[in-house]
Amino acid sequence: MTGAARRLEPALLLAPGAVALIAAFLLPILQVLAYAFFKDGALSWSALDFTAWRRMTDDDYHLFVGLRTLRIGLIVTAACLILGYPLALVIDAASARMKALLFLALLLPLMTSVVVRTFGWLVILGRGGPIARALRDLGLVPNNFQLAYTETGIVIAMTQVLLPYMTLVLVGVIGQIDRRLVEAARTMGAGWLHALRHVVIPLSKPGIIAGSVLVFAITISSFITPVLIGGLKLPVLAAGVFHSAIAYNDWPLAAAQATALFAIVALVLLPYALTARGNAR
Amino acid sequence: MAGVTIKGLAKSFGKVEALKGVDLTIADGSFVALMGPSGCGKTTLLRLISGLDMATRGSVLIGDSDVSRTPPEKRNIGLMFQSYALFPHMTVKDNLAFPMKMRRSYDAAERDRRIARALDLVRLPAIGDRYPRQLSGGQQQRVAFARALIDEPSVLLLDEPLSNLDARLRDDMQMELIEIRKQAPITTILVTHDQTEGLTLADEIVVMREGRIEQAGAPRAVYADPKTAFVADFLGGANLIPVSVAPATGGGWTAAAANGQSAPAPAPPGGQGGRMTLMIRQEHLRALKPAETAEAEVQGKVEAVAYRGQTAQVAVQALGQSLRLIAPPDTAFAAGDEIRLGWSPADSRLIADGSQRG
Amino acid sequence: MTLGAPLAIRAVAALFVVLMIVFLLAPLVVVMAASLSAGGYLVFPPQGLSLKWYAEILADRRYQEALTTSCVIALLSTAIAVPLGTAGAIALTRFRFPGRSAAQLLFLSPLLFPTIVVAIGLLILASRLLGGSSIAVIVAGHVALAIPFVVRTVGAVLEGVDRATEEAARVMGANAWRRYSLVVLPQCKSGIMAGTLLAFLVSFDDAVLVLFLRTPSIDTLPLRIYASLEFSPDPGVAAASTILILMAAFVVLISERLLAGRHVVG
Repeated sequence: MTGAARRLEPALLLAPGAVALIAAFLLPILQVLAYAFFKDGALSWSALDFTAWRRMTDDDYHLFVGLRTLRIGLIVTAACLILGYPLALVIDAASARMKALLFLALLLPLMTSVVVRTFGWLVILGRGGPIARALRDLGLVPNNFQLAYTETGIVIAMTQVLLPYMTLVLVGVIGQIDRRLVEAARTMGAGWLHALRHVVIPLSKPGIIAGSVLVFAITISSFITPVLIGGLKLPVLAAGVFHSAIAYNDWPLAAAQATALFAIVALVLLPYALTARGNAR
Repeated sequence: MAGVTIKGLAKSFGKVEALKGVDLTIADGSFVALMGPSGCGKTTLLRLISGLDMATRGSVLIGDSDVSRTPPEKRNIGLMFQSYALFPHMTVKDNLAFPMKMRRSYDAAERDRRIARALDLVRLPAIGDRYPRQLSGGQQQRVAFARALIDEPSVLLLDEPLSNLDARLRDDMQMELIEIRKQAPITTILVTHDQTEGLTLADEIVVMREGRIEQAGAPRAVYADPKTAFVADFLGGANLIPVSVAPATGGGWTAAAANGQSAPAPAPPGGQGGRMTLMIRQEHLRALKPAETAEAEVQGKVEAVAYRGQTAQVAVQALGQSLRLIAPPDTAFAAGDEIRLGWSPADSRLIADGSQRG
Repeated sequence: MTLGAPLAIRAVAALFVVLMIVFLLAPLVVVMAASLSAGGYLVFPPQGLSLKWYAEILADRRYQEALTTSCVIALLSTAIAVPLGTAGAIALTRFRFPGRSAAQLLFLSPLLFPTIVVAIGLLILASRLLGGSSIAVIVAGHVALAIPFVVRTVGAVLEGVDRATEEAARVMGANAWRRYSLVVLPQCKSGIMAGTLLAFLVSFDDAVLVLFLRTPSIDTLPLRIYASLEFSPDPGVAAASTILILMAAFVVLISERLLAGRHVVG
């Protein structure tokens, strides 16, 4: 193989995958953007059409849906951080056996289809579920109480779904911290809590940010769990896309909603990706 | 078997010039060591000869053919990597068979014969069915060596072949390499950062620095007559003293150091006096006993004595700087002692390149 | 990092971990338990234990069709995604070339990107260009979802492979094809196998793309479960869900073994 052929090698290796991804990933995204801004997706100045957007902004309904989505996103992210950080610390300090077990506990839900996880939560959160029954037995709630079809229920279920992502990112970052820095801090008089606050947490900041960005982006784009647990009364942005497209066959509106979702995710991911480039390879 | 000729070879990686225009002729059957500190371009040069990298400028000839644009698989060379690069998923036999299968040079029976012979050559006859991970470091190294040789290449390239071995094994392998070469003489180019390795194994050493050849020649010649302070220092244990050289009354020359001390000096290059560097190797300096004299003598003060097992290294302040000399391990000197240093001017050299240690 | 934490804290931490494990696995345990219910209603804890619901769904024609379709789609997606992803991993891990970061972004972004946007895009695209969705369109979408997983698992293993073995093969006369088939790919075997398992699972599990791209004649196991959840699910749905859980458990255990601790999520 000559030098020129050698230079072609990466291109030849990438080409088939790139073609598949462009066709099945990039083009659909562009199609959505086209439909959001142009009539019938036709890409010409005369076809510029913002009616779908006007419908979105005119109606308070869409605003509430958006706000609800963001609210859920923020609460779930916070919950995952609060629960995930201590969990990551424990995993990091665990023996090899324990670590394997804990990773299994994280990966199994992650790899299970989201419909199954949501199904499980419907049972747990529903009227006949253990939580409702326990609270009723304690006399704290009325008879037909259930956490399903409430925003709290959505938050609980989504936290369980997203917790593995956050925890794995954090474990990765915490594992990279040089143990000797903590040991040095201890020899200089820092107790374990101080060492945590002043050494470990600051050094794990990139992971905290990465995990939060990841969890937030996935949460606000989620469809299955909020729809099944929240029901029709508590729609989120992704549910709006589905209903516009499938129930009402209103592609421009669906595209506009999808684009709004895309924009929020990009807004959150882009600054992160750009700064991460500087640190990563 | 063929010689290698390099003309004006240069290689840049983006803005970095790894090799800045090198000319070298390697005779058929000779053993050449490319030596120098990291970054000097020796590995780049080896890779250009192998074809794994293509030169930016210049040409590489193997025998009479210009192979500058030929890919490595067509150059008929054997290359031994620093990490050995044995295929972990193949047995030793399959590893050794690989080059022969690629070139389809022989049928199965002949291949097996050659494999048996190669294993005998490196004295590992029974390990053919084992996997690399089941071998020790020294065994892996020998298999890698056998694999590089097995298809009878024209040129054998060795990239720091012994650097992953511990010191004792390294000495053993150096001896073995010499033995093996006697049985299979082949043009060999070795890259090493270990000075003694080059001096031990090679017919010719090439000292490189910052992408250029600083000096090339037979080991003894280069060691005894370094042309620059860098070469003198790289090959080990040289004291380099900035001096002012002037003709001495009564014939000969005198070198005067910065602190005012002076001593007899050999003839300067070009026959002219002036500012230059006086080189005296550690092994040529000795501590004079009270009644002893030497052709060249200076007074000095011991700074430190470092015990080294076989020898002791003594640091002495004289001629305006800290000089090192080698003494017997039970030397009686201690820090603070006054000492007289002696040497023979014929053992010293004057270097006129004006540059101090690189 | 928790060097020197006092005993009380350690005790709390242990309790916390137990609670977290319960939290993480609760929905799965509930579903599995409900599937063993002997009664007719879906309730947790189950009233009586029986495997009858498994027999029910395996005999149910709709579930049989859904299972078959899911398998077909997953097999096709995997068969395409694994070679494409492996080649991509080799290119991204071993070579430096202009546009490498862009290529890396392309090959890994389906992991981060909202699937729902791709789903609606594929629906619109397929309707306009092909008159509607089909198995092929779903497979295409799944291939795009699966490629990043393959790239990561193969890439992770490839990083540990000595580059010099490829150069040695070159010097010894191997052309590109033989270099890959005899030297590179055999050393990546565990990554390729893990990638295959993950790709299959990703396709099998998918509920979002299939929801948008389904047609009256296409039904997958996750779709069946979703449809049942919109109404009142019976323990049969739990049985079907347990099948998915067991598949996931299988893939997790095997790929953890294959990747020997190289974690590729996050």
